[in-house]
This record gives sequence, C-alpha cells and structure tokens, in this order.
Amino acid sequence: MKIFFLIGWRNLWRNKRRSLVVISSIALGIFAMMFSMALMNGLNNQMVENTISTSLGHIAVQRAGFQDDMKLQNSFSPSETALQSLEQTPGILAYAPRIQLEGMIRSSEASRGVLIIGIDPEKEKSVSGIAEYLLPDQGGTFLLNRGDRELLISKTLAEKLDLMVGDKAVILFQDVDREISGAALNVRGLYQSPIDSFDKYVIYTGLDTLAKMAGIGNRISRIVVRTENRDAVDPVAAHLRAAVPDPGIEILTWKDMAPNLLSAVALFDAMMYIFFAIIFTTVVFSIANVLIMAVMERFHEIGVMKSIGTRPVWIGAMVVFEAVNLALAGLIAGVVPGLLLVGALSVTGIDFSFYMESVRVWGTGAVVYPSIKPMDVWVSALIVMGTTLTAAVYPAVKAARIKPLEALHFI
Amino acid sequence: MSMIVLENVEKDYLHHGKKIPALRGVSLIIQSGEFSALAGPSGSGKTTLLNIIGGLDAPTAGSVTVDGTALTALSPRELADMRLRKIGFVFQAYNLIPVLSALENVEYVLLLQGLEKKERRERAEAVLTEVGLQDLMRRLPHELSGGQQQRVAVARAIVSAPAIVLADEPTANLDQKTGAMLMDIMHEMNLKKGITFLFSTHDPMVMERSERLIRLSDGNIVSDESKR
Ligand SMILES: Nc1ncnc2c1ncn2[C@@H]1O[C@H](COP(=O)(O)OP(=O)(O)OP(=O)(O)O)[C@@H](O)[C@H]1O
Ligand SMILES: [Mg+2]
Repeated sequence: MKIFFLIGWRNLWRNKRRSLVVISSIALGIFAMMFSMALMNGLNNQMVENTISTSLGHIAVQRAGFQDDMKLQNSFSPSETALQSLEQTPGILAYAPRIQLEGMIRSSEASRGVLIIGIDPEKEKSVSGIAEYLLPDQGGTFLLNRGDRELLISKTLAEKLDLMVGDKAVILFQDVDREISGAALNVRGLYQSPIDSFDKYVIYTGLDTLAKMAGIGNRISRIVVRTENRDAVDPVAAHLRAAVPDPGIEILTWKDMAPNLLSAVALFDAMMYIFFAIIFTTVVFSIANVLIMAVMERFHEIGVMKSIGTRPVWIGAMVVFEAVNLALAGLIAGVVPGLLLVGALSVTGIDFSFYMESVRVWGTGAVVYPSIKPMDVWVSALIVMGTTLTAAVYPAVKAARIKPLEALHFI
Repeated sequence: MSMIVLENVEKDYLHHGKKIPALRGVSLIIQSGEFSALAGPSGSGKTTLLNIIGGLDAPTAGSVTVDGTALTALSPRELADMRLRKIGFVFQAYNLIPVLSALENVEYVLLLQGLEKKERRERAEAVLTEVGLQDLMRRLPHELSGGQQQRVAVARAIVSAPAIVLADEPTANLDQKTGAMLMDIMHEMNLKKGITFLFSTHDPMVMERSERLIRLSDGNIVSDESKR
C-alpha cells in the first residue's frame, strides 16, 4: 500500500539527523564493500592473468603424464594432426613450443637452482608476456631466434648472481641420458615480471640450443596455447581433445594446471564475504536500534492508527517501508560515488609501488586496476537490502503488536 | 433500531495485583441516530465504557453488541476491520497522523477501506468543507490550531459514514467557543447523515447540547435522561 510507503518516507525526514546518520552509514558500508570487491577483483584478475602470461598460458598440449612429472623423458614430438588441429581450432590465437628442465646457473659469484626454458622467441611473444617484461634500460634485448646461444634472466637473479648484460654464466643440468650437460652462455637481456617467485626461478634460452644440449633431438616439453578468452578455454580444450584423440597426449587448461590459483581466488572471495558479514552485522544492530527508537517515539500515533482500524500487518509494513527507504537512500548515496570511483580507478589504476615488494609476492604487479562487475553491484545491493530487512523485523513486529489502548494513554 | 446493546458489562483492571473495578455491571441501549453524552466524575468509568464499545478494550464480563455484531467473538484483526468500517473515533487530542496533511488524514480511512483515488479525494474534500476547513486541507496537523485539529478528527471519524462515532472528551482541550462550534458541526452531521454519536464529557456545554445524558458514578449508571 502506497500510503504506508509515503508515511514511512515522511517519517524518515522527521528526525533528519538520525536518518542521515543511518543513510550515510549504509552508504559508507556499500561504498566500502564495492571498493573492496573491485580491488579484490582487480587483484585476483591480475594474479591469474600474470600467472598465465608468465608461465601457464591458456592451454598446454604435452605428453600424457608430463604435468605430474616434468622430466626430460616426458618430452614429445607433436604429430602432424596435433599441429593441424592447433591451426584449425576456433578460438586459438597463437601457440608456441617450449622445453623446460631444472638445472643450475652459476656465475663467478654464486649459483642458483633454476628452471631453464627454451623458447622460440618470435612465437613466444604471442603466447606469453615475457617479451614485454624485458627491461631495455638494462642494456639488453630479447632473444632473436630459437638457435640463440644466449640467456634471458631476471633482474633479481642478475643481482643475486652479480651478472650484467654481456656477462657469461654457466648453465648445468642432467640431459635425457642423465649425463651432466652444460654451457657458458652470455646474458643477452634482463627481465622483470610481476611475480617475484617467477623471477627468482626462471631463465630463458633458445629452444634449439636447449634441445641440443639436452639430447632430445626435435622433441619438446609442451606446446603453450593462447586463446581469445581465458574464461572460455574449456570449449577450446574440448575441441582440441576431440581433434587429437591420442591417449599419449594430454591437453590441459590453466585451470587444470593451477588448481591452487583457483582456490586462492575462492579463498580471497570467502574472506571478503566474511568481512562483509562482520560489517553488516553491526549495521543490522544500528538500523534496528534507530527503528526501535522511531517506533517508541511514535507510540501514540501508532495507537491512533490502530484504533481507527489499521491492521497490525500494515503497521509492521510501515516500519519495514521506512527501513527500505533508509536502505534505498543509502544505496543510492553509496553506489553512485562507488561506481564513479571504481570507474575512474579502473582506468588509472592504483599504484602500490610504495608497497611494491609485498604486492609482487602476490604476483599481481604494482599497479592494481580495480574492476567491478554488474553482478557485484547487484550482490552488494542485495546484501544491503537483506541486512536492512533483517534489521526491520524486530521493530516491525514490535510496532504491529502495540496495543492501541496503551498507546493512546501515552502522549 | 438498537445501535449499541450493553448487557451487564463489568470491567476490572489489575493494578499491582489489586482488582480495580471500573465498570460494575452496566446495561445500556443506544438507539441508531442518538446524540448522547456520558457524564460523571473523574474515574467513574466513562473512557472505559467508550473503549469497550469501540472494541479497544475487552470487558471482564457481560456482552457488547454494536450494530448487530457481538464484539466479544471477534479476533484482533476482525476488531480492526470493525473499527475501520463501523466506528469513528475522536479522542481528546493528538488524533491525527503527524506526517499526513489534513486531507490525507481524512483520506487515510477511505484508503484503508480500498476506495478509488478519485472518490477518496472527493469525499474527503466534501467532509472537510462541511466542517469548515476547505481552505486548510493541505496543512499538516502541527500547522493547525487545536480546534481545527479536532475538526479534522471529526471529519475523519464521519467520512466513511460509520454507524457510530465515539468521542472521548472531544472539547476538553478547546475553549468554550471552539468547543461549541465543534459540537454544532457534530450535531449537524448527526441530523444530516443520521450518524449515532456518543460522547464522554465534563463539559456542561456538551451535556447541554446532547439529547440524552447518561450519568456514571463509580462504574454504575446513576441517571439516564432523554431531552427529546
Ligand atoms: N489501564 C488501567 N489500569 C488500571 N486501572 C485503570 C486503567 N484504566 C482505567 N483505570 C481505572 O478505572 C477506573 C475508570 O477509569 P476511566 O478512565 O474509565 O474514568 P473516566 O470516567 O474516563 O475518568 P476521567 O473523567 O478522568 O477521564 C478508574 O478508577 C481508573 O483508575
Ligand atoms: Mg476518561
């Protein structure tokens, strides 16, 4: 009934200050919620995206069993069918071969255990971000071709090993026959990815160079595939699996390869919801408190309304409407600036470089771009409405149960 | 036709475990179209009697029938509907919903009854005009004088053409002249529309203008005189 909405609305403005306090606390709550959701989305998004663009790619085609045991013996030669399918499957943007093996890098100063990745530089550019992570101001360049006998290492590692562009470093590892193999290679360039642990562990050289040293002929570790959309990899992978019906080959998506990444995202989301639950539990009590005060103040007039024939439910509805009005006002006051701020920040990004090292540990990069999905806004709005309605239940029941006679005495 | 029939109505209040008799077996018949007043000293049971007739309070013993309906059998919701459709109330003061204008206060009752907007408006404006408030309809209660507020309350009580209007000391907060004007308006409604009125009062002016005077003392009817 409109009249109760109207009464609820006008009642709101009888004690402006009190209503404004509630409205602004709701607004602040939803504003904070939207902002932290957007920030968390941005962080999660970048964490996933960076992991994909450093190591995972979207889809890997590799010998069955490679994922569990990444040894050289598990390398393979992609079949004609496989290569053709990669060309023909819709949704695939690019693919590139990689060889990877564990070994050691040694300078005159120190040595480190590393993952040595052999790449085809041109193709690698289109499946990963490594070429963009190159630091040209360090004097180096990216690898040029798959036969290059040079190294790409991170700036972090270069500092640890006291290496500069042009210096020689020795790489050592067990080849496919478990013989020690190694070579002294020049550092051609330095890179820095957004993921600290990646930088400490990964070095690059030419694909053919590494194949020859490892003694695996024309075999490779995996083919890394880039698709149009990381959230739509499953149909592409399914298509590939159907096109390459070889039980000796496994085709995995980034989700298959990094389940812990997904659970990290899920964990962050869960933490966020717990945080919201705590915030909004306190909001429930403050709204309920204000509504109870409002009902007590209007004891007499509620008595009048009841004595002239208003049903108890409508009295309750009036209180609920008042709460809904508060929530709507708070929603608008919170969502609009929230969207504006998040919208602006999604373009400019938030620079956490003052905090860089710890952000790099999370693998998100120093500049975070908050992003909010329409769904998040609806969820926030729903949470606020749900909270308010919960808060309104007790005051509404209390108001509905007021005995007209007692209330009339009360002036 | 008997509008109100009370048979041996008793009402005891409990106060700190002590029984306080407010009505001690009141029997009374009010005919349709009467313009009657309850008088008596403070504490004699006038308000209690009106509340029981209006279904706001339940008797301890005895039966109450209003316009053919026995009140004791009704649920709280049915009582609310009964008050909405058959009974109009005018209290001593603070009768109105503060956030609604005079017009909206009067319309409110019609709205609860589910009338169309247009008809609501017309009827509310018509009764407000009848009580002489045609120029003040858009004002909020706190922008009206006490007498004007009471006139809005009367307009609200009669707008849905109830069977009976119960008014508990309607003139108590008004000066002599304003009170007399309010009584004139109510009497006019009584004559024009045949609405039954029952007042409680200490005001000699009200007693004088009513057509039947029922005196209560200590929870009993002690005299009942008709002036017609
Ligand atoms: N809620 C209550 N609890 C206890 N006693 C009550 C209650 N309401 C009324 N009484 C008692 O019942 C008796 C009748 O009260 P009532 O209000 O009907 O008197 P009244 O005739 O309207 O008086 P007044 O002229 O002062 O308004 C009084 O003794 C009063 O104290
Ligand atoms: Mg009284």
